[in-house]
Amino acid sequence: MKKTNIDFEKELNKLNVRGIEINYYFICKTKLFLFMNNMGLEKNHENVELGKLLHETSYRSNKDKEVIINKIAIDFIKKNKKEDFIEIHEVKKSDKMELADYYQILYYIYYLKKLGIESKGVINYPNQNKKKEITLNDENIKNLIPVIQEIEKIRNSNLIIPPKKKKYCKKCAYYEFCFS
Amino acid sequence: MKYNKYLNSEGKLYRKENTVYFMDTKGKKTPIPVEKIYALYCYKEVSFTSSVVILLAKYNIPIHYFGRYGNYVGTFYPKGENYSGKVIVQQSENYLNSDKRHYIAKEFVKGSILNISKNLSRYKLDYDKEKYITALQKVNRITDIMNVEALMRNDYYNNFDNIFKNFKYEKRSRRPPENEINALISFGNSLLYSTVISEIFNTHLNPSVSYLHEPYERRYSLALDIADVFKPIFVDRLIFNLVNKKIINENHFEKDLNSCLLNDEGRAIFLSKYNERLQKTIKHRKLNRNVSYQRLLRLECYKLEKHIMGIEQYEPFVIWW
Amino acid sequence: MYAIIVYDVSVERVNKVKKFLRTYMTWVQNSVFEGELTKSEFETVKIGLKNIIDEDYDSVIIFSSNTSKYINRKILGVDKNELTDIL
Repeated sequence: MKKTNIDFEKELNKLNVRGIEINYYFICKTKLFLFMNNMGLEKNHENVELGKLLHETSYRSNKDKEVIINKIAIDFIKKNKKEDFIEIHEVKKSDKMELADYYQILYYIYYLKKLGIESKGVINYPNQNKKKEITLNDENIKNLIPVIQEIEKIRNSNLIIPPKKKKYCKKCAYYEFCFS
Repeated sequence: MKYNKYLNSEGKLYRKENTVYFMDTKGKKTPIPVEKIYALYCYKEVSFTSSVVILLAKYNIPIHYFGRYGNYVGTFYPKGENYSGKVIVQQSENYLNSDKRHYIAKEFVKGSILNISKNLSRYKLDYDKEKYITALQKVNRITDIMNVEALMRNDYYNNFDNIFKNFKYEKRSRRPPENEINALISFGNSLLYSTVISEIFNTHLNPSVSYLHEPYERRYSLALDIADVFKPIFVDRLIFNLVNKKIINENHFEKDLNSCLLNDEGRAIFLSKYNERLQKTIKHRKLNRNVSYQRLLRLECYKLEKHIMGIEQYEPFVIWW
Repeated sequence: MYAIIVYDVSVERVNKVKKFLRTYMTWVQNSVFEGELTKSEFETVKIGLKNIIDEDYDSVIIFSSNTSKYINRKILGVDKNELTDIL
């Protein structure tokens, strides 16, 4: 069924979560909480800068194809010629945060589906010469929805999430904030 | 890593080849790599073109201006996009609630006391820090907290003539400072104040909502609060060194009937040693990583931010070496 | 890390290289720049240079060290551009 403009708007308003928030949800709730309160610390952080460079230099022919729809920003999209669907591509530095990356792109696919667009996801790890394909199904939608709800809950509460040290904290842009 | 640049001669900042150039009155041109500038400090008349302003804005580089005595005049800061509504609301709430305000104000004073006491113990001078800390616990008004602060700082300054070898301190004099030591203290305090401002700009805190000093005292009164904790470490220790090792001597001052201030050469020495100190690193115990002195100021802002947000109670930085 | 970049590029590109490097490093003498760079800045400089030069014709040599501590710097003759933070 074709969606009308009004349907589009309704769906967009319901989906208030950003892709990066889904990602942070799996990495660290404190980071998510700070980010959602406009207390982001990504600016000028060395690892973030290196990540940005990776985005700019890998898949350069696709670099103008970044797609921003309301709350989500997709690195680049491609049309799969054989079958009639869109490929959503996300570029990541390493696969250390595989679960977070997986849910982030799953959310993009879900988001587009809500707008009536069929797509599949690909996570690219150019440094490791690795790719991972993701498709949406009933089961992973079932896992995704509570994540979205939980993020909304965190946004709308006055909840404070104090930092807990994890083994990957040291590389995070929020490390000095959390443990100073 | 980005670096502070200090302009200690008259001249003009202009834009060329996508970067910043400084030209002094003799026509000497020095390019400054724009990607590497953290903040600019101007001690002389320095004009700038509008295209420089645009460039500095793009890189979020603040320019601090100082007057004849090295007194802070103002900061040109391109934009404040780091603000978080929630932080500003919480920052104000911590000011309006007097219990909360007193807690933070007292912690700042406690930080000063402990850092001062560390300084004096290096020279084997006695300082009754417990007396001041107990006094602090007993008071419940900002004016009284300020009084404890003034008393303990006086007590500290009164020891200065036992520390300095080549100059007399006598008493604190400002605007203008009457002798060399006072000239150095005033100069250093203004410098540190502006360094703290640069750091606050890089956090989500609003620099004009403060706790020990009244928010209307100066435009960036929060920088006064935080600078107080670090003066003994960043400024006083530096001056002890510069004076006692004769790195700065009587030839580095301009003296008048009732005023004394650093001359161009003295200022250049001070700035260069101060800058060295900012870049010096120490192993941070909690972070378990090397951080520069300058970064300690940022971490202090973070700690305050965490406190007002209710994440972790603030305790001031106390030097351990 | 600390980097020293020397270049030998065709006349029509030499100013482009110079102009680009000026934003990150200090010009020390003809076709030589040096300065402290973070890893991401170092990568950005390399990418930037690659975009400017003609890799079949020009030549750029990059010396780098994790810290400037292990580089002895001695000048004979004129110091054309003093490396200083106080101007």
